[in-house]
Amino acid sequence: MLAIETRDLRRRFGPTVAVDGVSLSVPRGCVYGFMGRNGAGKTTTLKMLLGLVRPDSGTIRIAGRDALADRLGAARCMGALLEAHGFYAHLSGRENLDLTRSLLGLRPTELDRVLEIVGLTPDAGRRVGGYSLGMRQRLGIARALLGSPEVLILDEPTNGLDPDGIADMRDFLRTLPDRANATVLLSSHLLGEVEQVADRVGIIHQGQLVLQDDLATLRAGQAPQLRLGCDDPDRARSVILGLGLGLTRGPDSDRITLAPGADVRETARALNRALVEAGIDVHELSPQARSLEAIYRDITALTPPHKEAA
Amino acid sequence: MHRVLIVELRKLNRSLAAALAIAAPGLIAVFTFFNMLRGKTAQPWDMWMVGATGIWAFFMLPMSVTALTALVAHMEHGPRTWDHLRALPLPRWTIYAAKAISVFLVLALMSIGVFVLTGAAVKLAVALKPELAPTGVFDATVYLDMLGRMYLAATLVVVIQLWISLRWASFVPGLVVGIGGTFFAVVATAAKVGVFLPWQMPVNMLSTEGWRLHTALSLGLGGGLLLLALMLWRLSRREVL
Repeated sequence: MLAIETRDLRRRFGPTVAVDGVSLSVPRGCVYGFMGRNGAGKTTTLKMLLGLVRPDSGTIRIAGRDALADRLGAARCMGALLEAHGFYAHLSGRENLDLTRSLLGLRPTELDRVLEIVGLTPDAGRRVGGYSLGMRQRLGIARALLGSPEVLILDEPTNGLDPDGIADMRDFLRTLPDRANATVLLSSHLLGEVEQVADRVGIIHQGQLVLQDDLATLRAGQAPQLRLGCDDPDRARSVILGLGLGLTRGPDSDRITLAPGADVRETARALNRALVEAGIDVHELSPQARSLEAIYRDITALTPPHKEAA
Repeated sequence: MHRVLIVELRKLNRSLAAALAIAAPGLIAVFTFFNMLRGKTAQPWDMWMVGATGIWAFFMLPMSVTALTALVAHMEHGPRTWDHLRALPLPRWTIYAAKAISVFLVLALMSIGVFVLTGAAVKLAVALKPELAPTGVFDATVYLDMLGRMYLAATLVVVIQLWISLRWASFVPGLVVGIGGTFFAVVATAAKVGVFLPWQMPVNMLSTEGWRLHTALSLGLGGGLLLLALMLWRLSRREVL
């Protein structure tokens, strides 16, 4: 069974189509990276999952429950970290958590459990007003974990963090499904970060889900690349094209795109031989894994301009 | 509902609501104390107690309601907690109902505060100048009954101010309406039409004309309860974007 499943979700605000036919499928126990530029429709989609925004059409199932017909039932299965943290700065971390714990009718021991998971136990007695942004993010995740929900929805969990904070959060998120026994859907516009923690990704662009797949499948299906550095790029290009290979011009080196399934080592050997025989000095020829960012750029470049409602 | 209300009261307990609850009736008591000390002859209890409840209904109650509703709403607007609260597995109307109930509870404490603190101020003034000991009967039932009717008649103004404060994240609309309503209540006290002005309904409980008293009480309480139901329904359905 899927932890989150949406079918053809649509929502418009006035003339603007914010979400246009989004069908998410998030398997249980995975980290799902929901990516897109700012304004692409990520937050509106997440708010629809949480019941904060009503879709114009479409269906939402959370842990098998129809979230539109049974908001309370679906909400019991979800915990969320929203972009606006919503903490009372004059209260301590523990007191903030305790307010939500009381609202959910949970036992007081639940506080120690979630504080332990996010590693905030030593600072739980301090006022939230004195917390760093990273600590607030962790406290937000602790609050989302109250009641052990099956699904965690984290909106931009690395937003505003410094590089060390991002690295800490990345390590934390990677282990979260095991620690919390939950499915994690996280949204981000930092593709490099999502790439390092997600098992499955969805890319939303201009309100449309333009790609959704397991990250491993996605990478396997993409053509591998070779990075080339040489003393005469112009002549090298004709050699490369003569071998029938794709070519992308970079700022300081040429990238060579191979056909999916091609043997990278064999191709590199053949290319190097041809370049040397043509009298071109090669100083770099290295295989490159295609980054999620490159995949994202390729896909969004193919997407037609946004359709706006009349 | 019980859990939501307890949490709301815990939040209020750590805010400045307690200071407000003491300050408003306290100021009336301070005024009564010094006003009494200015006098040279003893006056009846009614003059001090009815005078204090008049100041309460006339000016301090609507201003306190304006401040209190703004405080209760900005506990959530300020730290932007609405999305968190509204995403919880709770019927949304309970969140807003808990806020309304806490405002009414604090307002009830303030009404009792007017009675207790004014009585204490009079006693203190008498301790300093025994010749000013009030004449007549101290009829607590009459004074509390008057304050109780003012409290009930204020239902409509409480709900209007609370709805505005919850609806807009800025405190300005609530303050403008509250100050404006109180201003017209003060400058048009004698106007017949004033009985229909929500901010003037509590002070109409002092009227000697039966129709004014009953009209203001019925409209204030009945209209307030109807508007409360409408507010809970509308806010529960509203998307906070």
